[in-house]
Amino acid sequence: MLRTLVMFAALSLTATHVHARELPPDPLESVMWQSMADRFMPDGDIVFDDKVKIMAPLSAENQFHVPITVDATALDNVEKIIAVADLNPIPLVLTIRPQAALSYVGFRLKLQQTSPIHVGVKTSDGVWHVAGVIVDAAGGGCTAPAAAHGNSNWMKTLGQTRAYAGRETLSNARLTLRMRHPMDTGLAAGIPAFYMNELVIKDDDGQVLAEVDMYEPVSENPTLTLKPLVGSAESVLRVSTRDTEGNVFEFPLTVPSSAGL
Amino acid sequence: MASTSHHLRKSAAPFSQARRRALQWMVAGCGCAACGSINARLLDFDLSAVEIASKTWAVLGRTDYFDMSNGGNIVNVAFIEVPDGIVVIDTGPSKRYGDALRALIEKTVPGKPILRVYNTHHHPDHFLGNQSFDANVIAAPQQVIENITIDGNGFADNMYRILGDWMRGTLPIAPTVALSSESEQVGGRKFSLFYLSGHTSSDFVIRDDQTGVVFAGDLAFLYRAPTTPHAQIDAWRESLDTLAAIDKDLLLPGHGPSDPKDESLSQTRDYLDWLYGTLSDAVSRGLTMNEAMILPISPEFEGLGVVRTEFERSVVHLYPALEDALYPVIEISQ
Repeated sequence: MLRTLVMFAALSLTATHVHARELPPDPLESVMWQSMADRFMPDGDIVFDDKVKIMAPLSAENQFHVPITVDATALDNVEKIIAVADLNPIPLVLTIRPQAALSYVGFRLKLQQTSPIHVGVKTSDGVWHVAGVIVDAAGGGCTAPAAAHGNSNWMKTLGQTRAYAGRETLSNARLTLRMRHPMDTGLAAGIPAFYMNELVIKDDDGQVLAEVDMYEPVSENPTLTLKPLVGSAESVLRVSTRDTEGNVFEFPLTVPSSAGL
Repeated sequence: MASTSHHLRKSAAPFSQARRRALQWMVAGCGCAACGSINARLLDFDLSAVEIASKTWAVLGRTDYFDMSNGGNIVNVAFIEVPDGIVVIDTGPSKRYGDALRALIEKTVPGKPILRVYNTHHHPDHFLGNQSFDANVIAAPQQVIENITIDGNGFADNMYRILGDWMRGTLPIAPTVALSSESEQVGGRKFSLFYLSGHTSSDFVIRDDQTGVVFAGDLAFLYRAPTTPHAQIDAWRESLDTLAAIDKDLLLPGHGPSDPKDESLSQTRDYLDWLYGTLSDAVSRGLTMNEAMILPISPEFEGLGVVRTEFERSVVHLYPALEDALYPVIEISQ
């Protein structure tokens, strides 16, 4: 009873702090739009913006691995990019802070059902620039056990990393990283949540180029494509990842010089 | 509902349109008694049999993807009159199709018993009509039976999702007769049996030794883009070699017209070579799946049915293994 009262008090306290914000209607008419905006883009104005481009299939061939590529390079001063799958039991997929990287990311996510996917890009003026797509999907992407659990010694290859490190222009690299991890959502019977939740790319001097926070809906064996900024000389990047049990995996990647362009 | 475009886009308007059309179909196909006759017309396959060799009929599907307008009739099945009865190769995507196939067989060759039904592989368009036939005569290699047992329910679920009422009453039924012999006699006719793989983990090919017709299942496609959800490309190439070497007069591919000149084999091989080469190159440049999906289709294959859709699907099917094969393992410190 006391707990209930405390909860009520807490709720009403929160309620008084919510300020009214003009929320533009969602072109996709997602029933979860208000909730997605309130939960994951709680501060600042929101505008739907063509400059945020999302590549996604109309229909998910595999609900465990739905490829998404976001290109927000048409926007300046990007602080943060978030992706949410509105109708997933856990909507937030990932967050990226491209401190010294192009506002561009490729990843794969799990879909529990056909869902709108919204991408919000926050610029330094505090505005969220939003775009969305709907991806048709068969059910169950978030609640089935990871494929890794079909193999009794999956722990042996935990964190094993494969990577492509190439140069795209005089000033930026293209990295595709593929890391072995079950990315358990905690929603499959008997399997607690266990996922890679953090990835940081630094240059050789320790300056952060990009940070990625990953959540349960990121697909098993997360495969990310990012475009950090580099000088024209051969560059060594330092990548560090961490999972929810505190395992840390660190590795260097060498981006070739621009001589070969 | 089948996607046909995949472009950089900011809204899902094309999807909404397709979905709306699909929903309209479903409304039109409602189960109310008052519109029963309309219903029957809308959800009727209107199958027809083409005699491709002596006493051998093919029922040719559209070179398309499953959708509400075709009801899943995108597949080739066949039946043969042998001295003592009928042999059927594959049963289509649903009970409704299986029933229509039974009726077509009875109309074409009245009063003959069905002695044998073969399933070439476990994909839903090839076996979900099994229910319309006596389970005791349905035969396939053991691996096909296992694949149907494992994947059958999932396939059926997805077919209901895509095809709605077309699927009503359909259950996945596995063959009961496991084959492993090089040949068998059925009703006075000898059939040679070939146990191949590559399109799936078990692809079963049947030759009628009397007519020389080879029923190649989905190892061979003609004028329709091959599908790859369970493909092993190297094994598939070997199977195409084997198929090319089999003595035959005519080949019936799983999708597309009957083929007297092995054109389906060379076309399927050329497409797989192009697909594999294109995706290997995309992976080795670090492209995302989405970036690979919008790569140009080679002019040679632009005319194939649903090639863009199948190419996009194949990216999802083949990319992970290519990434594991082509990206080097990076030494990590923990």
